[in-house]
Amino acid sequence: MKFDCIIIGGGISGLTAGIRCAKEGLHTAIISSGMSALHFSSGSIDVLGYLDNTVVYKPFEALDTLTGTIAQHPYTKCGKPLIIEALQFFKQECETQNVYLFDNENLNHFHVTALGTLKPTYFSQRSVFNEDVYNRFKRMKKIVIINFEGYRDFHPQLAAAQLSKHALFANCEIVAKSIEMPQIQNLSRHPHEFRSIDIARIFEDEEYVYKIADAIRLAADGADFVVIPAFMGIHNFNQIHNIIQSRTRLLVYEVPTLPPSILGLRIDNALKSRFAQLGGVFVAGDKVVRAEIKDDVVQAVYTANHPENPLEAKFYILSTGSFFSGGMVSEFDNMYEPVFKLKLHFEPQRNKWYSPQFFYSHSHPFLEYGVVTDENLRPYDSKNNIIQNLYCSGAILAHYNPIREGCGSGVAISTAYKAANQIVSLYKLMR
Amino acid sequence: MIKLENISFDHCIKCTVCTIYCPVARVTHLYPGPKQSGPDTERLRIKNPELLDISLKYCSNCKRCEIACPSDVKIADIIQTAKWRYSKKEFRIRDFLLSRTDLMGTFGTLFAPVVNFFTHLGIVKYFLDLVFKIPKGRTFPNYASMTFKKWFKETRKYQNKYLEKVVYFHGCYVNYNYPQLGKDVVKVLNALGKGVIITKEKCCGVPLIANGYIKKAQEHGRHNIKVLSKALPDEKTKIVSASSSCSLALKHEYANLLELDNSPIAHNIAYITQYVLEEFENGNIPKLKPLTYTVAYHSPCHLERMGNVAFTIELLRKIPGLTVKILHSECCGISGTYGFKNEYYAISQAVGNELFKIIEEANPDFVVTDCETCKWQIEMNTKYRVVHPISLLAEAIE
Repeated sequence: MKFDCIIIGGGISGLTAGIRCAKEGLHTAIISSGMSALHFSSGSIDVLGYLDNTVVYKPFEALDTLTGTIAQHPYTKCGKPLIIEALQFFKQECETQNVYLFDNENLNHFHVTALGTLKPTYFSQRSVFNEDVYNRFKRMKKIVIINFEGYRDFHPQLAAAQLSKHALFANCEIVAKSIEMPQIQNLSRHPHEFRSIDIARIFEDEEYVYKIADAIRLAADGADFVVIPAFMGIHNFNQIHNIIQSRTRLLVYEVPTLPPSILGLRIDNALKSRFAQLGGVFVAGDKVVRAEIKDDVVQAVYTANHPENPLEAKFYILSTGSFFSGGMVSEFDNMYEPVFKLKLHFEPQRNKWYSPQFFYSHSHPFLEYGVVTDENLRPYDSKNNIIQNLYCSGAILAHYNPIREGCGSGVAISTAYKAANQIVSLYKLMR
Repeated sequence: MIKLENISFDHCIKCTVCTIYCPVARVTHLYPGPKQSGPDTERLRIKNPELLDISLKYCSNCKRCEIACPSDVKIADIIQTAKWRYSKKEFRIRDFLLSRTDLMGTFGTLFAPVVNFFTHLGIVKYFLDLVFKIPKGRTFPNYASMTFKKWFKETRKYQNKYLEKVVYFHGCYVNYNYPQLGKDVVKVLNALGKGVIITKEKCCGVPLIANGYIKKAQEHGRHNIKVLSKALPDEKTKIVSASSSCSLALKHEYANLLELDNSPIAHNIAYITQYVLEEFENGNIPKLKPLTYTVAYHSPCHLERMGNVAFTIELLRKIPGLTVKILHSECCGISGTYGFKNEYYAISQAVGNELFKIIEEANPDFVVTDCETCKWQIEMNTKYRVVHPISLLAEAIE
């Protein structure tokens, strides 16, 4: 098959690049092997959460410091104006699919995790952060954290205990409650077998959503905030959030759960349907296994299901993610990028890959390993030659630490946007 | 002993992503989902078959879990294998008949007008429901009065005139129920300058696997590998099929599930739209007249699993004048013989509802899909006619 642009990897980065290319009229395909890390994500978009181990409140000011000090950082290669443009693009594209992202007027805000810790982030879905949450925060007295009886993947007592340790909540009463699942027809399973996805589907059912709202109102009487695990619908989340808030007359707030993350799933659905709407071809469940390169130009890629049928394009983007997603492979004393055998940045000695402590504040060095690129995000092959029509974006890139800097999704979006921008302008020149 | 190559369940990280995309788990709590029925309980079953949780029977083998899995676990294969390896065998005349497509087809075509008349009678359906536990709401596909094989005898001498050849695995549905699709395939391949070879094939084995007749499926598999590889005039000749499930069986199920050596044919098998699209892209394009329809394209689960959906979509886009609306990928619910059984009928219909809704919303002239059982399910549940992409292409060829 022949395309203008083939994107390898269907996560947040690949989809963002795909939408940008397809929107500009390029015939674009995304090859994706298995569902992406969005299914394990908070569903909030971090731009820059930490710098020098302190929490960042003004991400765009901190960005200047970061790009001024780390020359090879993907953000430095993107530059601030492009990062701002990319984030706005991402927000608008999500809005076309009714996912509304709230930014706290260019400031970071906190979202609460399932363990009751606070994480700085830039965009959140409106059920996680909005103007009302911001305004109520200053005069709150009581927070009620609610779980559904039997649901194993969220522990409100643990979240309450952790949250009340935080200075921001010093004068606030935090209570953990649980409510019963509504009686469901033919329910032969115990509620502890339910995962987030099962409960989110119950919320989607009009028959039950009002009963759930009534149970929440009873449990959370007098609360300024009600915190529930992110169950408020997979498709009709805006409507369900409205129903629950207006029926309880309470401010109901979602926290991301353990996988599968409903908040992440909403973003994944939105990006995929937007890409399809723009005429993009999404190949799910197939894996690019090798490439044909001639004179530093990628000629074709081949997949596991079709090892003999070339997929050809003028341009390629590699957004296969880090080790977990298979973008890079680590062996006992070696690391490599499996598709193009690109030049990687990593320490050869295995004992330098990780920190001795799992939760070390400086995080693990291996998170900074990845593909080395020029300032246009084009990678080098093993002989140190730049591959002319290949760009890299997202977690496969080297020289940044998504955990320590709190910047994973921001880098994924910005670098995807930059890669796609260059392809779009070259494509227009060629025509 | 655990075979080392069959420990893909150990790669499961318990992320539950497969359960999100399982159409059966979406509609019923009777099925705990692919993660629990597959990799979770496999480790118990290999220790002691008594620990089999019978709820895995609700798996319809759509394989959407395998497409979703980020860790490359062969979830559906694990469940299918466990079904026949550990569950108690009981003979059911219904399952026997549903899985013997060759037998039923031979009988059905022989007495086609009578059989078709009776299978649509309310009283007969009531009887089938009562005695055989085949849901009375289900409509049966009609049998043709002349098989595709018989028709092909007439055209065989013309096929020999073509220098280049393609082996065509037509499958039971084309042979006994809908020879027109086979005729369309021959027309398209001839228009590309290729002669068609057919073999003495047997049913690919998909309904046998689904009903637990693994030995019989292996027997069919061995036979098909033999006759197909024998029919290949050279290594480069392709074996095409216009049924997504037959293709999946020949290419993947034979090796992965039935543990047969399909290497003599594996590299030659191509689903038809992939083969035709590649000919088009190499410049071998017959003259096409514009078709001014608006169609909705539904991608069958097994075509998704093969990674072949893009080929069909790209081929449809090559037909001038055609407006193609790509439907959001959903399972239609029938899953072969699954939707023909009383105990799964309600689940099958509930799974399909999502798809029927989006078809109604798309409001096309008709629906296009690659799979015969998807066709039955959609035609039974919506007002739309369903056409195979190759039949549409055949219509465009002058």
